[in-house]
Amino acid sequence: MAVPAAVDLVDLALKATTAYERPDLGARLLQTRKRLADPDVRVLIVGEFKQGKSQLVNALVNAPVCPVDDDVATAVPTVVKHAETTSVTLIRDKGDDSKPERIDVPVGKLAEYVSEAGNPGNKALITYAEVGIPRKLLSGGLVLVDTPGVGGLGSAHGAATMSALPSADAVLLVSDAAQEYTRPELEFLEAAMKLCPNVACVITKTDLYPHWRRIVELDKGHLEKAGFDAEIFPVSSVLRLHAAKTEDSELMDESGFRELVNFLLRRVVARSDDLDRRSTSHDVLSIADQLAAGMRAELAVQENPERMQDMVEELTRAKARADDLKERSSRWQITLNDGVQDLQSDIDYDLRDRLRSIQREAEQLIDDADPAEIWEQFSEWFHQQVSSAASANFVWAAERARWLATQVAELFAEGAEVALPDLKFDDEGMAKKVDPLEQPESEKFSIGGKLFSGMRGGYGGMLMIGMATTVAGLGMLNPLSIGAGVLFGGKQIRDEKKRLLQKRQNDSKMAVRRHIDEVTFQVGKDSRDMLRRTQRQLRDHFSALAEEVSTSLASSVLQAQNAVKTTTTDREKRIRDLKAEIGRIEGLATRAKALVEGQQAAAVGSGKSL
Amino acid sequence: MSVQTPPPALGAVVRALLRRTIDAYQDSPQASGWLRHNLARFDEPLRVAIAGKVKAGKSTLLNALVGEEIAPTDAGECTRIVTWYQDAQVPKVMMFPRSSPPKQLTISRSGGALSFDLQGMPVEDVDKLEVQWPSQSLRTTTLIDTPGIASLSKDTSSRAGAFLAPDDSPSQADAVIYLMRHLHATDVHFLESFYDQGVARATPINTIAVLSRADEIGVGRLDALSSARRIARRYRADDKIRSLCQTVVAVAGLLAQTGRTMRQHEFTALSALAQLPRADIDGMLLSVDRFSRTELDVPDSETRAKLMDRFGLFGVRLGTTLIRQGMNDPSQISNELVKRSGLDELRSVLATQFTERRDLLKARSALLAIDLVLTREPRPDTAPLAAEVERIFAGAHEFAELRLLSTLRSGTVKLPVEALREAETLLGGDGGSAAARLGLEPTAGYEELRAAALDAVTRWQRRAESPMSSRAVSDVARLVVRSCEGMLAGLGVRSQ
Repeated sequence: MAVPAAVDLVDLALKATTAYERPDLGARLLQTRKRLADPDVRVLIVGEFKQGKSQLVNALVNAPVCPVDDDVATAVPTVVKHAETTSVTLIRDKGDDSKPERIDVPVGKLAEYVSEAGNPGNKALITYAEVGIPRKLLSGGLVLVDTPGVGGLGSAHGAATMSALPSADAVLLVSDAAQEYTRPELEFLEAAMKLCPNVACVITKTDLYPHWRRIVELDKGHLEKAGFDAEIFPVSSVLRLHAAKTEDSELMDESGFRELVNFLLRRVVARSDDLDRRSTSHDVLSIADQLAAGMRAELAVQENPERMQDMVEELTRAKARADDLKERSSRWQITLNDGVQDLQSDIDYDLRDRLRSIQREAEQLIDDADPAEIWEQFSEWFHQQVSSAASANFVWAAERARWLATQVAELFAEGAEVALPDLKFDDEGMAKKVDPLEQPESEKFSIGGKLFSGMRGGYGGMLMIGMATTVAGLGMLNPLSIGAGVLFGGKQIRDEKKRLLQKRQNDSKMAVRRHIDEVTFQVGKDSRDMLRRTQRQLRDHFSALAEEVSTSLASSVLQAQNAVKTTTTDREKRIRDLKAEIGRIEGLATRAKALVEGQQAAAVGSGKSL
Repeated sequence: MSVQTPPPALGAVVRALLRRTIDAYQDSPQASGWLRHNLARFDEPLRVAIAGKVKAGKSTLLNALVGEEIAPTDAGECTRIVTWYQDAQVPKVMMFPRSSPPKQLTISRSGGALSFDLQGMPVEDVDKLEVQWPSQSLRTTTLIDTPGIASLSKDTSSRAGAFLAPDDSPSQADAVIYLMRHLHATDVHFLESFYDQGVARATPINTIAVLSRADEIGVGRLDALSSARRIARRYRADDKIRSLCQTVVAVAGLLAQTGRTMRQHEFTALSALAQLPRADIDGMLLSVDRFSRTELDVPDSETRAKLMDRFGLFGVRLGTTLIRQGMNDPSQISNELVKRSGLDELRSVLATQFTERRDLLKARSALLAIDLVLTREPRPDTAPLAAEVERIFAGAHEFAELRLLSTLRSGTVKLPVEALREAETLLGGDGGSAAARLGLEPTAGYEELRAAALDAVTRWQRRAESPMSSRAVSDVARLVVRSCEGMLAGLGVRSQ
């Protein structure tokens, strides 16, 4: 949710940067504003087939938006978000740089495009459908994404879901109360926990299964044993829908949805708001400090002109250190460059290693049997192995990249702390530590966010490409070799049969090798691109910060030097003016601090208004 | 082509071969022991394993098939040991630990359900349990309950895998009923392991898939089972699934089990519920919690909770609706529940696919066993035996039919859809009897069968000789003609 107070504060700070002629600081604020303008809090609803994902979304918004069927229903992800009037839009992304195509369709027609019955295997090539619906629950920016059933980590849907995970604010893993968690579900959960900070488990259909409490207990045990810290919400969509129809509040309690809605609003939306507030507050605070730095330096000299020389020397030293941070030889830069290079080769090695063992296994399989007979199962198996290897590689790369970002942020902070002097003054106690740096903790969030939005496009595309080439590269072999297999039913002499079998085996191996080459090439390129984007983002971010600090210190030096030139008569007036200016900027800082401090009270308030 | 005299039955040929192999391996106690075991197995009831993912309802279905609650069931993962259920004079449970001699276990029975105490033996150390139980239903088939696949405890899962598709020896089961709740990736992978690559093994012939817990597919609505049947039909038409199993049947296991074991007091409770005003009972049936919690004296809360355990939401809904519609006889209700559960359909499929093919399936298991011995311990003087195994696999028309069936199902031969289906039926895909092959009622008379068979021979003969047919199609047609001729020969023998 866009926090209005945060937007106002950024606007005010923007005015200040214009007034004090610091457009470099303004640029950062503009970015902050842009981030605030995107209020979406994406919640991914994932799970195996037929666990009641679509029905859960329907029950949450209390409207039959997602088609529900006894057979497998959802074929295309459906994004449900707030809108003034109900509307349905289909989005078709061609995958190149052109703008995705958007098609508005009548509300009743959605099922024809997103259900397995209307659009089997997504033949209409719709990337996703967007449903706008006026709902209080969603008005805070909550966006629910209903996904097709996963069907195991290695499946095509599984890979697609996986690539969407890092960009989600929260993930709800849906499983019904018929049985405890299975191995594939826990494996998926493990990957989700690594890629998304906010994961919760929903157990559906508690109206249908007498032993749902046992299942919840068993699942809790499984989560504990695996060391996953995720909440479990048992719910019944049927009861919630029925309760909404009959306005039965007791039934509503029974449905278990109150807790789930609370979680979504207090933990997911509020957390995202909280993040917005914290990062805005940090941005504004650091800008206020930098704006005031020059004036503080001048004020100090105005009050103690004899200390000017010391002051200027200290500031110049600080500036030199800030300049060092900009240099390519600074520690954070070296760590970043080396880290990216190491990461690149590690990820590449990891991928090759995984694919190589698949190739070895595949060749063994081909050697042991006649490819014509096993081809269908074989290519299915092969396809699954390759995409789950790519997924695993992706999870690992994401983890390592995040770790690297943290590392760089810490080093930068360390370097900056050394470089920045403590400006201490004896009188009036108005002195303040000039610390124009954001704390590394909050740094992690904003960088993480940027990192993953950059990564999302690349890997999503990569996984899709991996799949497309499976079809293209391996399909070719099929009719030829199988035709041959049937042709030589038993009449041909043994040698000819043997020769043909060998040919088929060799052809199949070639196809496997070609495909693995193709995947290595594509996935390798995508991961290199992703790392390069990460590197550039981190470098730009910290270089800009170093630049800002250096500019601030340069103006401080200048103002400190100029201060001596003021005549004694003007001095008193100047001091008054400076104090007033600093007071105004401190007002900004106070508001920025209030933004964070006020959040606890605000969160409680918003919780009550449900 | 002239009608040949029918060759000696496959079973007899394989048995003779088995005895010859035993003679050849007299001096190797291990090999001859294994072979003798397989010879004995030839005369035992057909072994049908019930496999599937965790909580697919394997034990419940086993109880439904037997008609008694002999396999323990539970809300959590329950069956952790491979358990054999065999017909016997007296009830007896034997435990076979891996490293110590078999031991008899005491049977305790509470509320109709059996439970066994392993006497402190950890499940990992138990190879199998053998439950001997006097039952009509177990007389022709021995049922084998297996631990769930994709179980969280990896050990349990691998125990099932090792039993059903052991890496190094032919499977101990002759046929498999595979339960799936709805198709999952792991399911397909598992079915594939039955579809191994050897000459006669490459066939989904001994697998039937069951879409289990069918009542839950439609979240317990009254029309849930017709939904489930529709889904089963879709699966049946799916090429990938067709190439892995014979057919797919939807069964509501819990309903079937309860239908076959319903007790008088349960019927009384259902009747009392059916007397309530419609709105009241609908309100109670909104959720399982409401059903047992609502304040009501008769039946009391505890009885209702037990009723829910036994019938499920769907069963209670269906039961009360049936009583309201005027059914007032317990046996009538229980028959109706069983009928609606799809169990009858499964039983008739089992009869056509497994029981009628008993000899073929047994012969197949035995040949695989001989093959194993011959490849493990090859000897110079056993070469003729190996050739004989090869000859039976390649020559016996029954195996040729099986092979062709699976080729057709894999969709590699280009035939018009109707012709493809007809070929499959004629080859015995829907049952081995002449009537089933010709798509006639089981009551069809000699003349009718003969006319239909002659008609089929002519049609397929034409297809075989047509210059327009590709070589692959001609081969298929020739084999179909041979099947039809076999049928005609069989008819001739019977009528004389």
